[in-house]
Amino acid sequence: MEDATRTFGKGSCPPGPVPEGLIRVYSMRFCPFAHRTRLVLRAKGIRHEVININLRNKPEWYYTKHPSGQIPVLENSKCQLIYESVIACEYLDDAYPGRKLYPYDPYERARQKMLLELFYKVPHLTKECLVAIRCGRECADLKLALRQEFCNLEEILGYQNTVFFGGDCISMIDYLFWPWFERLDVYGIADCLNHTPALRLWTAAMKQDPTVCALLIDRSIFLGFLNLYFQNNPDAFDYGLTC
Amino acid sequence: MSGGSARSLAKGSAPPGPVPQGLIRVYSMRFCPFAQRTLLVLKAKGIGHEIVNINLKNKPEWFFTKNPFGLVPVLENSQGQLIYESAITCEYLDEAYPGKKLLPDDPYEKACQKMVFELFSKVPPLVTSFIRRQNNEDGSGLKEELRKEFSKLEEVLTNKKTTFFGGNSLSMIDYLIWPWFERLEVLELNECVDHTPKLKLWMAAMREDPAVSSLLIEAKAFRGFLDLYLQNSPEACDYGL
Repeated sequence: MEDATRTFGKGSCPPGPVPEGLIRVYSMRFCPFAHRTRLVLRAKGIRHEVININLRNKPEWYYTKHPSGQIPVLENSKCQLIYESVIACEYLDDAYPGRKLYPYDPYERARQKMLLELFYKVPHLTKECLVAIRCGRECADLKLALRQEFCNLEEILGYQNTVFFGGDCISMIDYLFWPWFERLDVYGIADCLNHTPALRLWTAAMKQDPTVCALLIDRSIFLGFLNLYFQNNPDAFDYGLTC
Repeated sequence: MSGGSARSLAKGSAPPGPVPQGLIRVYSMRFCPFAQRTLLVLKAKGIGHEIVNINLKNKPEWFFTKNPFGLVPVLENSQGQLIYESAITCEYLDEAYPGKKLLPDDPYEKACQKMVFELFSKVPPLVTSFIRRQNNEDGSGLKEELRKEFSKLEEVLTNKKTTFFGGNSLSMIDYLIWPWFERLEVLELNECVDHTPKLKLWMAAMREDPAVSSLLIEAKAFRGFLDLYLQNSPEACDYGL
């Protein structure tokens, strides 16, 4: 995988300028927000390099890329910086030729953006469930809330009668949702999809997509990362790297 | 352009009919800053539109078929397509209608406008908290937080060395953030821009814009609305009519 490189941490040298013809993404192998950007880079066949950041031990130079040190951040060879995962994904779709992930039609584009609004509670809820479970706490209420959000998405698929959220082909909105659904199993909350059959069909269809497939994170490596992460081990982010 | 000063529709009202060809309808409320974003873009692009005001303290049942969240603004076109979330409505109008583009064509410049929009995002909830604070709460903590957010915006103008947030002419990002700055004076929050001179100059430049000045809300009317709104009065949205 393109992003199988060791993280940069405190005391590391800043990477040089981005070579012409490439775009750089500052990332972390297990981060769902950065995952969105990597999906789009892959789906559009955009030549890129990945620099992984140690999120528990951030390099001082990284704050010159993002004011509060968040990922993902895109940097191009003109030294332009773009952040917020959704903004980065839209930038890539606009700036690069080939397959368009957002629809051309203004109303259909607006529909995808309205769908994204429906999703906004999911990242926070999935994270809260993960933390609760890992800390041995009760999370029935959180799971209930997450199931409710999934019901809302189920309703959309039912109403549209399409496989994907943007129609019968995969598009931007599906990639923007996907990272959290990929993580349900490894977070221990896959049962939150028990009452949403259309959403289960969607996840099965997503796993058939070549881009999604190519970036699927190995389950045992992810679990290894999570174990170290919750022990506050700063080596967590490099777990599973062979070099 | 009809309806800007029309009485709002409330519970028990008949739903309006289909949108006539050649027009787009915006469901709005005369004092809502989010809806004002959409009205600014409609005005700036010269888009033929009709306005249906909604009584937000006594919403018509049919309004939830326009937006399941029951919020304004909502756009409805003659094909029956519905678009909601103020920023989404503004971008839709810019893409769907000809004439002056408010968002830049350049992907990076467009991304920059969206990054500034994110930078601004704490301002609306802070202003709402300030408005809703109880009478004996002094707002100095909230004012300090607002100052902090305004400093971030000042930094953008300092780095760009331009009058407006998108460059030397007014563009989408300026319209998206304007409604909250318009309300600073009537809310007695003007002091929060005392240490941000470029932001102050920007505010003055904005008032010169034809779309902005045509939609300026009279201070007394806003105050009258706000007092009633905070008391949850169903008369609030029609104050002054």
